[in-house]
Amino acid sequence: MKLLLLPALVVLAVFAAALAALFRWSLLEFVPGSLQTGGLTLANLRGVLAPQYLGAIRDTVVLSALTTVLTLVAAYPVAYALARTPSRRVRSAILVLTLAPFFTGAIVRTYAWVLVLGNTVLAWPVPMLFTERGVLVGLVHFSMPTMILVLAAALSHIDPVYERAAASLGASPARVFRRVTLPLSMPGIVSGGLIVFAWTLSAFPTPELLGGGRVKMIANVVKDLGLDSFNWPGAAAFAMLALALTLALLTALGRLAAGRPS
Amino acid sequence: MRSRLMVTMLLALLMVPLVPPARAQNALVVSIWGGNWKDTVDKVVGRPFTARTGIPVEYEVGGTIDRLAKARVAKGSPLVDLNFTTTHVARLYISDGLYDKLDLAKLPNSKEIAREAFRSDFHIGSWAYVYTVVYRPDLVKEDITKWSDLWKPALKGKLALPDFDPSHIITIAALMEGGNEVNWQKGEARLKQLKDSVAAFYSTDAQSQDLMKTGQGPVQVMLSVNAYHLQEQGIAVKVVQPTDYPGVVGIDTVAVMAGTKQADAAHQFINLALSRDIQSELVRTLRVGPVNAGATVPASLKGQPGIFLSPAEWKERGYIMNDEARAKNLPGWREWFTANVVKK
Repeated sequence: MKLLLLPALVVLAVFAAALAALFRWSLLEFVPGSLQTGGLTLANLRGVLAPQYLGAIRDTVVLSALTTVLTLVAAYPVAYALARTPSRRVRSAILVLTLAPFFTGAIVRTYAWVLVLGNTVLAWPVPMLFTERGVLVGLVHFSMPTMILVLAAALSHIDPVYERAAASLGASPARVFRRVTLPLSMPGIVSGGLIVFAWTLSAFPTPELLGGGRVKMIANVVKDLGLDSFNWPGAAAFAMLALALTLALLTALGRLAAGRPS
Repeated sequence: MRSRLMVTMLLALLMVPLVPPARAQNALVVSIWGGNWKDTVDKVVGRPFTARTGIPVEYEVGGTIDRLAKARVAKGSPLVDLNFTTTHVARLYISDGLYDKLDLAKLPNSKEIAREAFRSDFHIGSWAYVYTVVYRPDLVKEDITKWSDLWKPALKGKLALPDFDPSHIITIAALMEGGNEVNWQKGEARLKQLKDSVAAFYSTDAQSQDLMKTGQGPVQVMLSVNAYHLQEQGIAVKVVQPTDYPGVVGIDTVAVMAGTKQADAAHQFINLALSRDIQSELVRTLRVGPVNAGATVPASLKGQPGIFLSPAEWKERGYIMNDEARAKNLPGWREWFTANVVKK
């Protein structure tokens, strides 16, 4: 029986070894113009606290939070329709439209947004491409399918009898939604929110292509430091900081969700 | 018995990624960028090399830094025999002892090579290009003829610059203020003035070309090779030969990996790549500048930016940065550039 744990332990060991290597790299002195590293130092960890890197962390958290909220708002009606429509055709159509982006890949989808958000297809009243607004649009679109599926699963588990009972007692449709449907779909909202928030924290292609170099999220900064500046210790330090931040945020959100009134 | 079988199977599965890909016996393995670079080198150099020597050539493709990282972890027992990379990144290979010294006695064609292409005892230029000003005349009303034109208010919001390597514009700004890549700080104030002119920063050649095609970045500090590629695709871009300061030369280089068992074959490959005929073909296919002064260049490319045909042209029409200074300064340049020019 213990032998069955072996694969899991091996996987755990590999991840732990990778993290340990990353941590070790973050403590090595960076020597510009060389692949050789110097001795142990805390300079890399101090370096990532520079204003421009802290700005990237702040932008990442803000963009992730906004993406989560906007995705939730945009996905909820679609998920509701998917879960509640009596028509099999309509359900299939929504499902196909929801899943279609999964088959195109993140890069292709993001390139499509480059064309849409630029001024070649539409004349936007405010600049969209290469701004936080544009990146937000791309992130919301990227997150929508997952949020829709998670919410639809939660909504389909709500027995419509509760809603009918509330309506028969005189509650308006809006009140039924606010007092019955919304609270009962909370597990889906929390799960979907956590998933979207967590993966937006590590978003890379969307800010890379739609941000035009002006909008940098954590993953973009790690890539800049490691691949463009050859500063592998700096990239490792920033990755460690980002990892700690992500874990802290997700733990806090998880606790918040666990402590919500049922 | 069953548990032992399970353990064996598990270990076998774990070993799969550790086993290097199967190579043809005695194959020469060349590390190079993917796409057009690999295809062209294979067609123009690799296949003739195999035809002459009987040695098959295989390729390990990837980005500049991916391949550097791989080379580093395989130090002493290289996975490839020969490496193509940019001249300043080659300095990182050299600093880590990843290259063998070149044996010029085994490279007779190197006698015809431009002096500027001899980058060190370890690496030699394979072709050249420039980073210069490229623009779309249909989207930019005024003619651009000089580097200093980039600072004109009319170009506000039209400029796209590389942020992965801002060394070209940093060097040009320094030259304009009487400095160079070593005392680059002289150009700081001038660089900051560019901030509002920039529409976007690009991280890859593909992004650069897309910005030009879609008109999102109709004026760029751009790799000449990419500009000629756009022209071939029917995008009317003008490649400027700046009249105030020269274009910034980039040299891609080739070197023999330290510890390779195919050092002789690697030298033969390099020697062939430096020959007049092969250089002529590389120019024609890649739209790069030859390093062999005797190479034949198509009439349409003669005199164009990045195509240097004589020692005088290398000197007058191109600015060659100091590789070591560039490799050392790049991290600091990027940090300064991001904080002072990229960030709104």
